[in-house]
Amino acid sequence: MKFVDEYRDAELGRAVSAQILSIVEPGRHYKLMEVCGGHTHSIYRYGVDDLLPSNVELVHGPGCPVCVIPMGRVDDGIAIAHQPGVIFTCFGDMLRVPGSHGTLLDAKAQGADVRMVYSPLDALRIARENPERDVVFFAIGFETTAPSTALTLKRARAEGLKNFFCMCNHVTILPPLRALLESPDLRLDGFIGPGHVCTVVGARPLQFIPADYGRPVVVSGFEPLDLLQSIQMILAQLAEGRCEVENQYKRVVPEDGNARALEVMAEVFELRPHFEWRGLGFISQSALKLSEAYADLDAELRYSVPGVRVADPKACQCGEVLKGVIKPWECKVFGSACTPEHAIGTCMVSPECACAAYYNYGRFAREREVV
Amino acid sequence: MSPASSVDAAEHCITCGDEGIPMQVRALAAPGSEAVCLDACGAPQLVALDLLDGVSVGESVLVHAGVAIARAAAPASAAEATA
Repeated sequence: MKFVDEYRDAELGRAVSAQILSIVEPGRHYKLMEVCGGHTHSIYRYGVDDLLPSNVELVHGPGCPVCVIPMGRVDDGIAIAHQPGVIFTCFGDMLRVPGSHGTLLDAKAQGADVRMVYSPLDALRIARENPERDVVFFAIGFETTAPSTALTLKRARAEGLKNFFCMCNHVTILPPLRALLESPDLRLDGFIGPGHVCTVVGARPLQFIPADYGRPVVVSGFEPLDLLQSIQMILAQLAEGRCEVENQYKRVVPEDGNARALEVMAEVFELRPHFEWRGLGFISQSALKLSEAYADLDAELRYSVPGVRVADPKACQCGEVLKGVIKPWECKVFGSACTPEHAIGTCMVSPECACAAYYNYGRFAREREVV
Repeated sequence: MSPASSVDAAEHCITCGDEGIPMQVRALAAPGSEAVCLDACGAPQLVALDLLDGVSVGESVLVHAGVAIARAAAPASAAEATA
C-alpha cells in the first residue's frame, strides 16, 4: 500500500539498525522517550526495540490522552450521560475507562444513551438528526484532535444548532514534557517527538527541549522505518555533540504547523489555569476549555457535575508507567489483576498505552512468569 | 459511506495513537468544505477540509478523526524515505 510499504522495508530496516549499532558507544546506556501512544504501539507491534542494541532503552511517556484522564472527569461525564434526554457521544476507548463506579459502557448498560463516534462531526450529525435532545460530545485528545473539535463547534454555531454541547478534555503536549524534564525521577538522553501533534503546532515549539534542557528531539513518523531512522538521528546528534530539533517526518510535518488549525483553536478554546493529569498531578496551562465566546456550547456550564477529585486505586501504578519510571511488566498488577479485559488503570485500556501495547504484542518475548 | 470505528480491527484508538491516515482526494463534495477521499485500501470516506486551503482532486492529505489536518507527500521509493 502506498505510504506504508515504503516505510516497512525489512532490508532498509536492517541497514538503519546497523547504522545505530555503529554509532552507539559501548558501555554507555541511552534512554530515549517517545511521548506519543502511536509510537508506543508501533514499537511493540513491529518489534522496533528488538532491532536496537541492548544499551538503547526506549521509555514510554504520557502520550495517550485517554490514559491521562483522571477518574473524577470520567465520573463527570457519566453524570452528564445520565441526564434525561441526553445523547452522550465519545470516541471508542473512552467507553472503557474506569470511573469511581464503573465506565461509560456500564452507564450505557444502565440505560444512558451513550454512543461511540469516530469524529466530532459524527456527534454534530447526531445533534442535527435529534433536534429535540441535547447531544454532548466528550472531547479528548492532544493538539492533533483539538482542531477537529474546534471546527465542529464552529459549524454548530454557524448552523444555529441549539442542542450540541462539548465537555472539553483536550490536553496539550508541551507542559507535561516540561514537567517530565524537571522531574528528578527521570534521566533521559533524547526524545522521539510527536509526529501528528507537530502537523498542527509545527516542530518549532519543541525547541525549548534542546535550548533549556540540552536534549535532542527528532519529530518522527509512525511506521517502523520512521522510528528506526528517528532513533538513529537522535543517537547521531548525541555522538556528534549536537543538540537540536530535527524533523524526520518532513513528508507530513511543516515547520510552522497548520496556521488554519491554530487559528480555529485560538477562536474556540482557551487554556485552563491547571488540569489534573492521571499519574502526573496538576499541571499548569496544560489543557483547554471552551472560550467565553463559545460558553453557550460548554456542557460543563449547562450541566451540574460532581467535580470531585478521585484518587487512583491503591494497586494502580499507571502514574509511574506514564512517567516512564517503571516498565509495564514492573507494575505489580500487570497481567494478573489488570488486563485489557479487566483494566484497573487507564494504561491497560487503550491499545496504544504502554501496558496494553506490551500485553498485546510484547509480553510473549520476555521470559517471565505471569501469575 | 459509513464512518470507521474509532477502534478499528487492529485495536487502534485514533486519539491515543494520534492516528493520521494518508488518503487521496477523489472528489470535492458540496458544500465545498468536504471531500470524498480514498484510503490505502480504496475505501471511500467523507473528509472535512476546513483546515486546509486549496485542496484539489488527486492530492494526498493526512486525515485524523474525519478531518484533513495536513497534506501528505509520498516518497518515490523506500530508499528515498530513509535518505
